[in-house]
Amino acid sequence: MCGILGLHNSNGVAPPGERFAAALDRLRSRGPDDSGIWHDERVALGHRRLSIVDLSPTGRQPMESSDRRYTIVFNGEIYNHRELRPLLSPLNGWRGTSDTETLLEAYRTWGVGCLSRINGMFAFAIWDRAERTLFAARDRMGVKPFYYAERGTSIAFASRPSALTTLLDGGLEIDPEALRVYLELGYVPAPLSFHRGVQKLPPAHYLLSDSRGTRRVRYWDYRCITPERSWSSRKEEDLIEELQALISDAVRVRLMSDVPLGAFLSGGVDSALIVAAMKSAGVAHPKAFTIGFNEPRFNEAPAAAKIAERLGIDHVVEMLDVNDLLSLLPEYIEQFDEPFADSSAFPTMALARLARRHVTVALSGDGADELFGGYHYYPLMTRISPVMRWRRPWRSRVQRALRMLPGHRGKLLAGALDSRGNIALFNYLRSTGKHFPTLISSDVLPSTSGSEIWFEQFATGFAVDLPAAETGMRLDAGITLPGLFLQKVDVATMAYSLEARCPMTDYRLVEWAMRLPAEYKIRNGQTKYLLKKALCKHLSPELVYRPKMGFGVPIARWLREDPLREWAQSLVHDDGLMSRLPLDRIRVRDLLRQQSSAKGESHPLVWSLLMLLCFVQRYHGEGALPAIPYREVA
Amino acid sequence: MRPRKRVLFLLTEVFANGGIQRFNKTLLAAAAEYGVSCHVLTLNDRTIEPGRFPDTTVTAFGGDRKRFAIAVLRALWLGNYDCILVGHVNLLGLAIGARLLMPFKRSAEVMLVAHGIEVWYGIPRMRRTALTFAHRILCVSRYTRQRLLDQVPDLQPERLTIFPNALSETWRDAVGLEAGRTLPGRFILSVTRLERGDRYKGIVTVIETLAMLEDTSLHYCIIGHGDDLPFLQQVAERQGVEQRVHFLRGVSDAELITIYGRCAAFVLPSGKEGFGIVFLEAMYFGAPVIAAAEKGALDVVQEGETGLLVRFGDTVALKEAIERLQRDVALRERVIARGRATVTEGGAFTFARFARRYADVLGITAPSRS
Repeated sequence: MCGILGLHNSNGVAPPGERFAAALDRLRSRGPDDSGIWHDERVALGHRRLSIVDLSPTGRQPMESSDRRYTIVFNGEIYNHRELRPLLSPLNGWRGTSDTETLLEAYRTWGVGCLSRINGMFAFAIWDRAERTLFAARDRMGVKPFYYAERGTSIAFASRPSALTTLLDGGLEIDPEALRVYLELGYVPAPLSFHRGVQKLPPAHYLLSDSRGTRRVRYWDYRCITPERSWSSRKEEDLIEELQALISDAVRVRLMSDVPLGAFLSGGVDSALIVAAMKSAGVAHPKAFTIGFNEPRFNEAPAAAKIAERLGIDHVVEMLDVNDLLSLLPEYIEQFDEPFADSSAFPTMALARLARRHVTVALSGDGADELFGGYHYYPLMTRISPVMRWRRPWRSRVQRALRMLPGHRGKLLAGALDSRGNIALFNYLRSTGKHFPTLISSDVLPSTSGSEIWFEQFATGFAVDLPAAETGMRLDAGITLPGLFLQKVDVATMAYSLEARCPMTDYRLVEWAMRLPAEYKIRNGQTKYLLKKALCKHLSPELVYRPKMGFGVPIARWLREDPLREWAQSLVHDDGLMSRLPLDRIRVRDLLRQQSSAKGESHPLVWSLLMLLCFVQRYHGEGALPAIPYREVA
Repeated sequence: MRPRKRVLFLLTEVFANGGIQRFNKTLLAAAAEYGVSCHVLTLNDRTIEPGRFPDTTVTAFGGDRKRFAIAVLRALWLGNYDCILVGHVNLLGLAIGARLLMPFKRSAEVMLVAHGIEVWYGIPRMRRTALTFAHRILCVSRYTRQRLLDQVPDLQPERLTIFPNALSETWRDAVGLEAGRTLPGRFILSVTRLERGDRYKGIVTVIETLAMLEDTSLHYCIIGHGDDLPFLQQVAERQGVEQRVHFLRGVSDAELITIYGRCAAFVLPSGKEGFGIVFLEAMYFGAPVIAAAEKGALDVVQEGETGLLVRFGDTVALKEAIERLQRDVALRERVIARGRATVTEGGAFTFARFARRYADVLGITAPSRS
């Protein structure tokens, strides 16, 4: 993991000064081991390094090619760089063993075509001095972040938006569309960014910037891969073997490291498969890390311990009081440069902190849920989708009956039946707001589009005639995974200078998953059907088929009782803060009242709102967070 | 003298723009070519073009289903037809029902035209039953035929005839007119409906691809109308190509000829094209065609020969195809020449071949006029 920064102007840039250094310093936690700045008359490049591969000075960045034509700044890992080296002939031989040098040479040899040959997680920029072209790219699934801003003839980029705003001396100007989408989803998907004028480079895209301007080009498109109907008649055993071989190889290539390496182990299917594959790949005693909680309904440590014992791995567990997670709130708000409302970031940060005490690199199971059908709403989509096509009177009757059911689930399902098509249904099930009215004020609402439009645009490239659940999985893989889960892992691990690697996002595995028919993902309401079958080769069924727990945090309780109730009230009633946002204050206060009085399950939306307010408070430098009663974690 | 065939046509629409409408016009022209006496009842037309088709009486119902149904019963009661040609599966139930009500009129064969998407998915049980009563089903593509057989296993395969579309003969001698609007210097072109329900046409894919092209002087013209225009405009804005995407409205046929002739490529990477008559038009007027390798389009476009095929939704492949056509002059010229050959003398999709196929279906041996 590293941090990159750069500025290009075809009319020339000033030598990097204090502002450039301050912007680079914003990336310190991403790369605490080293830093470097390089510039010529049109480009300034900065790099902060976390040394993982080739710890010697030959791995330093920014790195120039031996003919000094190209200069690179690179964040990430090229897992197949050793396989690529024999195909390349550097002008004066290899200077070191780093993947950065391999990548630079690959670009010198194949140009943009190098992207189809590399397997890795990356965000990088290469300046071609002869052609006066800046080439930048982001990996296929969006594991590594890349933010950029265009201003006239210049383009600036960075691994974090706060580095970019420091570089451009821009205050916080909120993008209203990003605000609306954030309040609907709890995160801001690419290419949107919360900062007006700043964009995220979407996964599997590259940028070319020269005197003619900047072009954004997609270089890999898995959306259109059609599920193989013929696989339905194949032997299940063969499919399991193929899947295992792919996972094994994805893990094998990710073991490349010159520093200690371990894995996250949650007690679920995905991380168990990763750890099992590490063991199969010849890692004698893989180290795995788990965070456990003293509240049984959030505690996965016992299950993780059983898996670790069965697989014979070194298992490190840290037990926490759930309320202790709140000690991470200031760090959480400091590290996320955009409002981010997935509360599982807390335990992820705690896990990263634990792992960093022992290793520098950790493998994580992220990506499996989206590719192999792990979320509870996929079977729901399969069931609801045909009912949505019923004639209105019949649908209304079902809705009325559902609304009469106790609890909020009936209302949620009744709302889902109003969806117009599978994409709208997915948007509803995925949204934080569900049936609650929008919090955006009515004067801003008409000028913005909601999240559904973004999903619709993305889905126009999907293979035709996909089942409802498969549509949901592809939307999650393309938008939710990079925007929410991979961002969470990147930021949470970056905060503790730990590098996370996600084997399930290996592009070979992704392409295979797209070809796998939906019945191998969801079967009879069972999620991750084939993945679980594969894990049964390593573990007993009772460990494999336990109910999914996820990284839960009792946000609803915190907001309803202590310790967050008062804090939430003070934020929402801060008129100065509220006046900076185009929100409908009456609705905002109604929402909080509902949550406090347990009248509605609105806590995801309330949490989104609170994270938004904290974010604005941080950017406007209005002092520290209000005091939150929590105990310091030892 | 052999007796003239009498055919009752039950059609959804004839005199508007659209693929099915164009097919219907070609069908009526083919019938006229072989001296068929045609009685046309068209459900949705509001106005007609009297005298356009010889020996043909046309009655339009402006969308009035009740009047249309009565007219069908009346025509069958009073008329003596060799064949009832049903232009859309939605009208098949009416035709079959009317015929069952009049057992003494059972000499008339019921023939259905199956265009595409309307018969590809979820055919209701009643309609499946009605399909088994049809004496012959004319399927515009191999894919449509296969989908029907998949969904209605009771259908006898020999009743399903592949009956591809053809370039309308009205285009044959048509002359282009300089467009009364400013067109970009170099542009790619799509001609299609722009309805929300028709996003499978792939227009968003083309807009996304346009933003990826190295050649930023290439524009994109879209001819068509529909309720999805605001969404498409928004997509173009988001991709930063709103200055290069042009939605052209009110384009006359004569203008269209000129636009086809001037475009750098005709691009319609549609995922659910029943046949794609616009591909034939583009080929005839000299545009190299790029289509998606899906369904009916596979019968029309042969990869590397009469056009280029890309995977539906694949922006990377579409970019490569557009750039290949710009870069590789020999390929471009070959694709244009072979595309044109399929819609000119002796080609598979000429009007003459279409009319001959239609005559064969009706059992007519020779045309009534040359």
